Amino acid sequence: MVQRKLNDSTYGLLLVAPVFIIVVGILFLPTLYTIGLSLSNFSFLKGHTLRFVGFTNFVSIFSDSEFVSSLANTVVFTVVTVFLELSIGLVLALILNRSFAFMGLLRTTILFPWALPTALNAIIWRWLFNPDFGFFNTILIQLGLTSVKTNWLGEIPLSMYSMMTVAIWKTSSFMALILLTGLQTIPGDLYEAAEIDGAGWFSRLRKITLPLLVPSILLALLFRSMDAFRAFELPFALTEGGPAGSTQTLSLFGYRQFFQFLKFDTGSAVSVVQFVLILLLGTFYLRIFRTENE
Amino acid sequence: MMQANLFGRVISLIAKYLFVLFLVVLFFFPVAWILLTSIKTTGDIYAWPPVYIPAHPTLQNYHTVLFGSKLGRYILNSVIVSSLSTLSVLFFASLAGYSIARIRFRGRHLLLMFFLSMSMFPQLAIVPSLFIWFRQIGLINSFMGIVLAYTGLFSPLALWILATYFRTIPLEIEESAKLDGCSRLRILWSILMPLSIPGVIAASLIVFIQTWNEFFLALVILSKNLLRTATVGIALYPGEYAFPWELITTATFLAIVPIFALTAVFQKQIIGGLTAGSLK
Amino acid sequence: MSRSGKWVAFAIFAFAAVSVAMAGGKQEPAMQKPVSIQFAISPREVGKVIPDYISGFEKENPNIKVDWLQVPGVPDEQHTLYVTNMASQADKPDVLAVDVIWPGEFIANGWAAPINDSFSSSELSQYLPGMMNSVTVDGKAYGVPLYTNAIHLFYRKDLLDKYGLSVPKTWEELASTAKEIVQKENNPDLVGYISMWAQIEGLFMNYLQFFWGAGGHFFDNAGKASIDTPAGVKALKTMVGFVKDGLAPQSIITYKPNDAMALFRQGRAVFMVVQDFVWPMLNAADSPVNGKVGMTRVPYFAGHPDASTVCMGGWILIVNPYSTHKAEAARFIKYITSEKAGLEMAVQTGSMPARNGMDANAQLLQQYPIAKQLYADFAVGDVRPSAQAGARYPELSHEMQLEIHSALAGEKTPEQALADAQKNVTKILGK
Repeated sequence: MVQRKLNDSTYGLLLVAPVFIIVVGILFLPTLYTIGLSLSNFSFLKGHTLRFVGFTNFVSIFSDSEFVSSLANTVVFTVVTVFLELSIGLVLALILNRSFAFMGLLRTTILFPWALPTALNAIIWRWLFNPDFGFFNTILIQLGLTSVKTNWLGEIPLSMYSMMTVAIWKTSSFMALILLTGLQTIPGDLYEAAEIDGAGWFSRLRKITLPLLVPSILLALLFRSMDAFRAFELPFALTEGGPAGSTQTLSLFGYRQFFQFLKFDTGSAVSVVQFVLILLLGTFYLRIFRTENE
Repeated sequence: MMQANLFGRVISLIAKYLFVLFLVVLFFFPVAWILLTSIKTTGDIYAWPPVYIPAHPTLQNYHTVLFGSKLGRYILNSVIVSSLSTLSVLFFASLAGYSIARIRFRGRHLLLMFFLSMSMFPQLAIVPSLFIWFRQIGLINSFMGIVLAYTGLFSPLALWILATYFRTIPLEIEESAKLDGCSRLRILWSILMPLSIPGVIAASLIVFIQTWNEFFLALVILSKNLLRTATVGIALYPGEYAFPWELITTATFLAIVPIFALTAVFQKQIIGGLTAGSLK
Repeated sequence: MSRSGKWVAFAIFAFAAVSVAMAGGKQEPAMQKPVSIQFAISPREVGKVIPDYISGFEKENPNIKVDWLQVPGVPDEQHTLYVTNMASQADKPDVLAVDVIWPGEFIANGWAAPINDSFSSSELSQYLPGMMNSVTVDGKAYGVPLYTNAIHLFYRKDLLDKYGLSVPKTWEELASTAKEIVQKENNPDLVGYISMWAQIEGLFMNYLQFFWGAGGHFFDNAGKASIDTPAGVKALKTMVGFVKDGLAPQSIITYKPNDAMALFRQGRAVFMVVQDFVWPMLNAADSPVNGKVGMTRVPYFAGHPDASTVCMGGWILIVNPYSTHKAEAARFIKYITSEKAGLEMAVQTGSMPARNGMDANAQLLQQYPIAKQLYADFAVGDVRPSAQAGARYPELSHEMQLEIHSALAGEKTPEQALADAQKNVTKILGK
C-alpha cells in the first residue's frame, strides 16, 4: 500500500500534464502561429518580404461585404440549428430513457445520421434535393401533394432552410446522446418522491429533470455551437455557399482565403475572428448557467 | 368510464409506437438510400421515371469496390487509426478529467477553460502549421502522427464529458475507497471508470466516429496510398466532373459497417441497462 | 481471466497496436542505386493508363522507379493538398498533374520549376499552343500539358431530325430550335437546354463562352479587365433569359456537370452544354439516349462567326521546384506526353492528349472516332484568363461566379452584376 507522498496540488497537475502537453503541441502552438500570421502580410509570392502589419487584415476583411454576409449567415445558422437540435435532442433523450418496443431498433438507428461523414451526407442530400429527379420532389409529386418542382437549393432563402434541415437531421441524435448520458445520472427516487407529492409530468420535467440536466445541456450547447459556428463541409458539399453566396459560412469563406486564394494572412484573420466570437459565446453560456466550478 | 380509459390507453400506445417507427424511418432513410443505390445498375440509378427498389439488383458494384480498389485496406487503416485514437484519448482524458473533477488543486478551473478554448480554434487553420511541423519531426505518413494529432484535437471534448460524468458519482464511494487504502489511480480505474460506463462509451463513440470521418488532416498527413483512411479513400472515386454513385454508395456503405456494428453492440450500454440513478 | 491477466492482455494488445502503428510509418529503406520519383495524379480521368505508363517507363529507364500517388479527383481537394505540401517545401511529389488554371498562381509562388533546359523549343511546340500559353510566363515554360478537355454542345439528333431542324450554330438558332421542339413534343418533362450553372468554376467557363461568342475579350489590349461591356451584358442577359423564359429549368443554377449529364441521359433535355466526359456515359448500352446524341462546338452569337467559344480545360504536368530529381522527373514527363503514350491514353481513357496533329492520327480516328469532333472543337477553343491573372485568378473567378450567380438567382440585374464585377475584379487585380 503506497502512501500518497504528493500533495493534492502536485498530484492533480501531474495527472493533467500529459494531455496538457499534447494539447499545447497540437492546438496551442498552431493557434499562436495562426494568430501571428493574421498580424502579418504573409504571402507565397516569390520574393515577398514578411512584415508585421498590425490589424490591417482585420480591417480589410470587415470591409469585405462577402465576409460580413458570411458572418451573418453563420450566426443565423448557428442560432437556429443549435436551438432546434437541442429541443429535438431533449425530446429524443426523454423518449429513449424509457423502455418501449422498438427501442433497441431506435437506439441503433439513432446514431446513423451522425455516423455518416458530413461531406458524403451532404452530397447525398444534394442528390435527394435535386428538383428534377431527386427523391423528395418525385415522392411529393407522385403522392399528389404538390405539382411544383421545389428548387430546394436554388432559391434564397429556401436554400438556407434546406441546409439547416440537413444539419438538424444529422446532429439531433448527437445531442440526444449527450443529454441521455446526463439523464441517467438523475436518481430515480427523486422522481418517485415527486410523484408521491402529486407532481405531474410537466412539473417533474421542469423542477427535477431540467435543473439536474444543466451540466449536460451546457456541454451539448457549447460543443454543438462551436461546431455549428465552424460549419464548413456542409455548405461546401451541399451548396458551395450558393446561391450567390447566401449559404456561405465563415469557415467556407476562411477556407477560400487559405486554400483557394492562398491568402494565409486574411485567412488567419478570419480564423481569429471566429475564435474570438466562439470564446465570447462560450463565456456567455457559462455565465448564464453559472456552472458549479469548484 | 373504464372503456374510455382503456381506449385512450390503446390509442396512446399505438401513437407512441407509430412515432418511434417514424423516427426510425427518419434516421434510417439516407442509409437505406445508400444501400439501395449500391445494388443498382448504372441504368437504374439514373432511370426516369425513378426506380426506387431495383427489380434486378446487382452485386457488381461490391465486386468492383472490394476487388478492384483498395477500399478494404483503407477501412482497415481507419479501424487502426480510430481505435488507437480512441484508446489514446480515453487514457489521457480520463486522467485529466478525474483530476479536474475530483482533486482540488489550484488552477484546475483555469485548465479546464484552457482546454475548452483551445478546442474552439477553427481546425482548418491549424492544418497547414501542423503539417509543416509534423514534416519537420518526421511524423508524416505515420499512424503515430495522426493518432497524436487526433488526441490533441479530441481530448478536450472527451475530458469534459468524463469530468462531467465523474462529478455525478457520489463522493461517499470514493471516500470509503480511500479509507480502504486505495490509491488515487486505483480509484479511477477500478471504481470510477466502471461506474461511468455510459459516459466512457459516449466519449469513446464520439471520438471514434469523429476520427473515422475526419478528412483534411488524414488527407494531408497520411498521403501514401497504402496508409489512406476510408474517408479519404472514398474521395478518390469522384473525377473532376464525373461522380460515380455506383462506387461511392457501395464504398460508403462498406465503410460505415464497422460504425454500425459498434453502435449496435454498445447501444444497450449507452442507453438501456442502467436504470436512472442506480449506482452501486 | 484474473484481474492482472486482463492487464497483461491489454498490454499485449496495446504493444501490438503500437507496433502496427510504427510499422505503418516506417520509411522504405532508401535504395541507393535506383532513383525514386513520385507522380501525383487522380486515379479517375486517365488512371487506367498510368500503370502501363509506369511499367513502360521503368523498362526503358531501369534506374528510375516511379511511385504513383493517387490524389482526389475533385480539383479543390487536390489543390488543398498541394498547397499544404508546397507550403512546407516538401520534395515529394516530384511530378504533379495540375489543373490548367493553376499554373498562373503556382508560377507566381515559385511552385513550379522552369523546364526550358530540359525541353527544347521544338519539343515544346508539339503541344497545343493554347494550353502552353497557360503555363508560360515571360517566355519561360514551367510545364507541359498532358491532356485536354473542353465544353461542347450536345444535342438530341433524333429530335432535330424528327422536326427537320438543323444543328444550331448560333445561340439565337439554338433558342428558337429548342423552343420549337419543346412546344411540339408537348412533354412536361422535357426542357430545351441544360448545363452546369451552380456557383462553381464551370459557371464562369459557361459565361466566358457566351461572352467570347459576343465578341468579348476578358482582358483588353492594355491588360485591364474588360467586364462591364456590351458583350458582357449580352452574354449575361442571354443566360438570365434562358432561365426566365423557361428554356432552361430553374434548377439549372444548382446543377453540376454530373447532374446535367443525368438529366440529359434520362432523355429530358434537347440541348446540353457540358464537358466531354459525358460522351461514353451517354452512349453506354443501357443509356436511354444511346445512339441519339450528337456533339458539336458551342454556338456563337449571330455576327461573330470567328469567335472561339469552346472553353478549354485540361491538366498540366509540372516539376516540383523542391524536388531533388528534376532531371528524372523531366524524362518521365517527356515519356508520358509522347505521341505513342498519347494515343494509348486517348484510346483507353477517352481523354485527349494535348498535342498538335492528333486529329490527323489515323489510328486514333479509327479506334476512337469521336476524337475528330473533339479536336475540331478544341481548334475553336480558348483558355480562361488564368495566366494573365496569375496568382489572383482564383479570386477573380470566385468574384465572377458570385456576380453571375446573383444575376441568375434574380438578386441583381445583369447590368448591376457586371458593374459590380468590374469594380471588384479591378480591385482584386490591383489595376
